[in-house]
Amino acid sequence: MKTRLKHAIMGAAALFMMGSAVRADVTDDSFYPYRNGVPTYPGLEAGMTIDASNVGKFTEILDPAIAQQIKDGWVTLKVGKTTSFNLHPNYVKATRQYSSKVSLGDKVGEINGYVAGRPFPQEPDLKDPRAGEKLAWNFKYGYNWGDNAAIKPFYWRYRKLKTGKIERTIKFDFHFLNLMHRVNQEPLPEYPNNPDGIFRAIYVQVLEPFDLKNTQLLIYRYADDLKRDNAWLYLGFQRRVRRLASGQVTDAFLGSDLMIEDFEGYNGRISDMKWTYKGTKYILLPFYDHDKVPLTDEYHEKDGYKFVDLHGKGNCFLNVTWQLRKVYVVESEPVDKNHPISKRIHYMDAQTFTLPRTIIYDRKGELWKSWSIGQARPDTHNGNPLNPTSGVSIDDGFAMIDLQAGHCTTGQFRGQVDSKLNPKQLFTVQHMRAVGK
Amino acid sequence: MRELPYLRGAVSALALSLAMASGAHAQADDGWDVSGFVENATFLRNHVGLTKARNTAQLEFTREFGAKGLFSSFSISGVLRGTYDAVYDLNENDFGKKAGGPVSLTGIGVPAGSLGPGSPAIPPHFTPFGQSIVTAGTPGLPPGNAFGFDTNANPNQGLVILGSAFHPQGTGVVLAVPVRPCNIDPRGCISGYLDFSLDELRFPEFNKRADFLRELYMDATIPVGGDGQELGIRLGRQQVVWGRTDLFRVLDIINPVDFSRNNIYDELEDIRIPRWALNTELRLGAQGPFSDLNFAFVWNFDHFRPNNLGQGGTPNSILDAGSFFRAMKLCWDLGCSVGNFAGGGVTTDFGPHQIGIRRANVPKWALNKTDVHLKMEGVVHDIGFSLNYGSFISQLPSLRGGIPAQNSFTGGPEQVWPYLIAFDIDFPRIHLYGGSADLYIDPVKTAVRLEAAYTTGEEFANTLQPRLFSKSDVLRYVIGLDRPTFIPFLNRRQAFLFSAQLFGQHILDHQLADTPGSLAGIPGFGKAGIPDWKDNWIATLLVRGQYHNGQLNPQVITAYDFRAQAAAIAPSLEWLINDHWKLNVGANFKVGTGARTFDDCRSCNPFPPFTATPLHANPFQPGSVGLSGFEPLGRFRQGPIGTAIAEDEIQMTLRYRF
Repeated sequence: MKTRLKHAIMGAAALFMMGSAVRADVTDDSFYPYRNGVPTYPGLEAGMTIDASNVGKFTEILDPAIAQQIKDGWVTLKVGKTTSFNLHPNYVKATRQYSSKVSLGDKVGEINGYVAGRPFPQEPDLKDPRAGEKLAWNFKYGYNWGDNAAIKPFYWRYRKLKTGKIERTIKFDFHFLNLMHRVNQEPLPEYPNNPDGIFRAIYVQVLEPFDLKNTQLLIYRYADDLKRDNAWLYLGFQRRVRRLASGQVTDAFLGSDLMIEDFEGYNGRISDMKWTYKGTKYILLPFYDHDKVPLTDEYHEKDGYKFVDLHGKGNCFLNVTWQLRKVYVVESEPVDKNHPISKRIHYMDAQTFTLPRTIIYDRKGELWKSWSIGQARPDTHNGNPLNPTSGVSIDDGFAMIDLQAGHCTTGQFRGQVDSKLNPKQLFTVQHMRAVGK
Repeated sequence: MRELPYLRGAVSALALSLAMASGAHAQADDGWDVSGFVENATFLRNHVGLTKARNTAQLEFTREFGAKGLFSSFSISGVLRGTYDAVYDLNENDFGKKAGGPVSLTGIGVPAGSLGPGSPAIPPHFTPFGQSIVTAGTPGLPPGNAFGFDTNANPNQGLVILGSAFHPQGTGVVLAVPVRPCNIDPRGCISGYLDFSLDELRFPEFNKRADFLRELYMDATIPVGGDGQELGIRLGRQQVVWGRTDLFRVLDIINPVDFSRNNIYDELEDIRIPRWALNTELRLGAQGPFSDLNFAFVWNFDHFRPNNLGQGGTPNSILDAGSFFRAMKLCWDLGCSVGNFAGGGVTTDFGPHQIGIRRANVPKWALNKTDVHLKMEGVVHDIGFSLNYGSFISQLPSLRGGIPAQNSFTGGPEQVWPYLIAFDIDFPRIHLYGGSADLYIDPVKTAVRLEAAYTTGEEFANTLQPRLFSKSDVLRYVIGLDRPTFIPFLNRRQAFLFSAQLFGQHILDHQLADTPGSLAGIPGFGKAGIPDWKDNWIATLLVRGQYHNGQLNPQVITAYDFRAQAAAIAPSLEWLINDHWKLNVGANFKVGTGARTFDDCRSCNPFPPFTATPLHANPFQPGSVGLSGFEPLGRFRQGPIGTAIAEDEIQMTLRYRF
């Protein structure tokens, strides 16, 4: 770590050291890393803008991809104040209750004693060869979208990076449901009648445009991580459900710059990757209050909800504030040598275990994609009346830039942490047939 | 729309349900969701020219009324479609008012004595329709014979030779078929079945069955359990899609299909003929070992609709069956000339009511003429599965011989003549027992789809049977494999989808037997029986790539009929110009070994002793001795690809969506 950064985080580090010295509860350290103070960096102030003229001063607190993009004049970053994104108390409570009993199994993808909450709240250790894997488990069993949530609606746009020309606009509804390891909503801790041990189900429906309308996707991820996900696609123009081969999970989803495996930063099995913890850093991440960033009037919602805006080159960047946050840098390398990528570098937010920044490398090892997921603090998010008390770091916007193709896909969310939107029957193959027109 | 009591009942139920629901859920009602498209499809066929100039407008609408009272959800959906195919106006010389013309039919000639003791040799000849060598007044025919027909009522105009697009007249039966729309030339049009007027061809949805209303149904859901179980009800005109395979209809048989739109090559979504039906599903969710379990019951209470095979004289007639039917209907109604008939080599003018198709017995509505389908479907141990049963009226026609007809040689009252090529078209009841499954095989990164059906009650042409058909149980099956695969030198960023399917058909009660002619090895003679192959397979392969984020999508579809030895190759390039405009440019080529021959029953001796051949043991021995030709049964050996072998096309479709 360079001297400047050492200085930069000195204050915060001192506080953390104090915390460490008196640490009675690793859970508090894990969930409230800023309770004793927020990180700082010389010259960095809330409200300032990082652009090509001053980015050189901040490269240590930027991931290399976004640093280069600022340097190239593609985008400027507005800096916001570091804020705590407190996850739901029940999730924290479950962590306290169960995490001491959790351990890794012999194989990657095996975990023992997990019931609910964050499985490994302890600080990762570079000397621990399986530290990356533990962080991956924290992500998989994170409180990302809570026990269930919907993104309704969810606008994706395919854009040319050079010109900003919008090629396609796709309107989705996304739904998430954890059938196991639930902490907040009945039934607890899991649904009965779950013979295959489905941990999480994801259901996606395309509403627009017309040629993709009624395309639906259903993914089952199992508690047994060694068991392959099952995925089905309903094609509206065929009115038929097709089981997806795993290759389709790593192919461009509906022609976008994302593969299904990219959803939420990483949407696959632990056992599909080799996970390596690369260290802890403090870097700028797109975390913000939804009501304090520029919002767009492009889409109309009856209740006046507005979506985050985009800016920068090709309108391929979220126009939000970025705040200095503690991250775990984790590398995931596909086990399958035929996988289209060689690795991902995830900048995993230490408090929420979301993946707001990921850099993706192609099979040749060359930088391919730059992947940002904006995180909105639930307390001020008006996507649903229940959001403020949800204790969920709300995915609020995304930008996936294919740097090689000069293309991007952007996403603007209306996240709604509302169980009424996610009844269990939504997550069945038959449901896709039933709603297929 | 035809007024039918059951239809009124259905509409009343629909209206009642709507009334119940509409008052209930004002706050959940987001209004009508309306979308649609307009499209032009222009196809050009080798040696023909324009075969399609189809302009389509489609409007889709749905309204979710939300939950109320008994229903946890309620919605109304519909699809309206209107089409104007200008090919009937722009290419009226091939498909419209001026289609067809005068034709002449071949007689390869016969040696002396072939037409009876003392008959002279007849050299090869080529006679205009209505002017055959054997006709009324031909010397040597018995007195009172009924050969010949009224050429004023049945003139030599507006005709083409049956099958002339894919084979020469050859040495077998030669028939002529009227090709103009039925209001222009009603000859050969079968009442209630393939009798479309020019307007019905140009505007196919605007007919007596109100096909412009492609779909109109209500969806309602009733909770039936505490764990999300529900009863889904869909009532109205609808498509019901069962099965897991593309192109082949093994279990996807609830709706008939319209092959006249683009043979077998359009998406089934666009060619299924929606029917009024009640579709109920008990969705139980996870139960016991099943992670999803459902039971479905479909009552198809609509008036019977057969598949539209494409009328004779139109651009797309699968197996060219519509042309064959029209040629045979012409023979029955008004008489016809038949090439290479008498003695196997002399043109012959048959009078009315002697050979041909008398009528189509299209089932009229009755409770016992409706269809019922059952399905158990779910997921168990990661395998999606279904078990299916259906009891339905066949959507394909069966030609049943054994109808009363007049003896061409003796005239007189009509009576039944075994082995006579005089038929009614019937639609037998079929019972189907089937199942399907899908699963993923990780070691080969491949999704597998399986589908099979065992049917009873199907009928096949059979020249060994006195009525020239027989029933057989049939086993059909499909295995499909889907595998996305990267081909880095073609596209580093996006995979190609390889989707392969193998369709098999096994006719359990197949009959095919040597004839005296085939046993003697006489050229032009073959086996008799069921022309369909006892076992046959068709393989398909789809390769689809994506470029520029799915905006440019090249694909190639190939299909190969193993027994027919015919292949179709359909490359295309789809360009998604933007969210509204899409252009698809493609082609459809066929290659293969060409037309096949089969016993055509010229030597079936239906009017003994006059039609006996030297190969018959005695002049009164019935049944075929195996004289064969391209027509009419060779088409069943060629299959839909082989029969369309001359239909190479380039195709362009431009669609605007809104």
